[in-house]
Amino acid sequence: MRILDYFKPVSTWSAEKIRKFLNQKKSGEYNLVDVRQPQEYEQGHLPGAQLIPVGELPNRLAELDPTKPTIVY
Amino acid sequence: MKGGIKAWDGFVAEGIPEAGMAYFPPGTHLEEMIGLAWLLEDGSRKFYESLAETIEEQEAKGIFQSLKRSEERHKTTLLKMYEEFLGKPPASGFPATMISGQPAGDVMEGGMLVNEALKWSEGKPLEEILELSMSLETNSYDLYLKMVQKTEDDSLKEVFKILSEEEKKHLEQLTSLFVKKR
Repeated sequence: MRILDYFKPVSTWSAEKIRKFLNQKKSGEYNLVDVRQPQEYEQGHLPGAQLIPVGELPNRLAELDPTKPTIVY
Repeated sequence: MKGGIKAWDGFVAEGIPEAGMAYFPPGTHLEEMIGLAWLLEDGSRKFYESLAETIEEQEAKGIFQSLKRSEERHKTTLLKMYEEFLGKPPASGFPATMISGQPAGDVMEGGMLVNEALKWSEGKPLEEILELSMSLETNSYDLYLKMVQKTEDDSLKEVFKILSEEEKKHLEQLTSLFVKKR
């Protein structure tokens, strides 16, 4: 990660705003990432969410399409 | 997402990341994939049809008849996709003749056996049965979305995109029914 990346703004959206976004978009138009642990994911996750535990993110960024909006929870 | 998943007021999918993908193993051909999806939709149709026949309360009966018709439309969509992607209608005996290793017993979307879902539903109030249906359909939606990400074949990706959009609409229908009955 470059030093300038630390200064890029990251928006926080409400769950309702995210619900509207997901309802409007088609599959493949966004990245949806669950950064919790596997057992938490297994108990319940947003439909279509990819599991990338937060500790693994730096090594798995290539799995996300950087041209698409990314939602993380 | 502000508040994380605890802030999410809605149904969530359950299971490990690979849940349900056993129905669509790597290397499965397009026609078999469509056949497998058709079988799952037909399983859900049988579930709703059985409930419509056995439940006496008229409004509930009407709801399950409507859900059964939705599943029939999904099956029709799959047959149209088969013809569009493969350039010919399915052969007679579809989908049994093209699927190897079929599950024992009818399976519905979400991976539950139809007879188990029906047994569970006996004597349950309508709201709980709708909740079960939503939970299973959410898992089905989750599976199709993940298959869009996982599949590398463009035709298969397109099939799963269409299926996920159909499930999204179906979930919206179920959600509005569920909210009305609450």
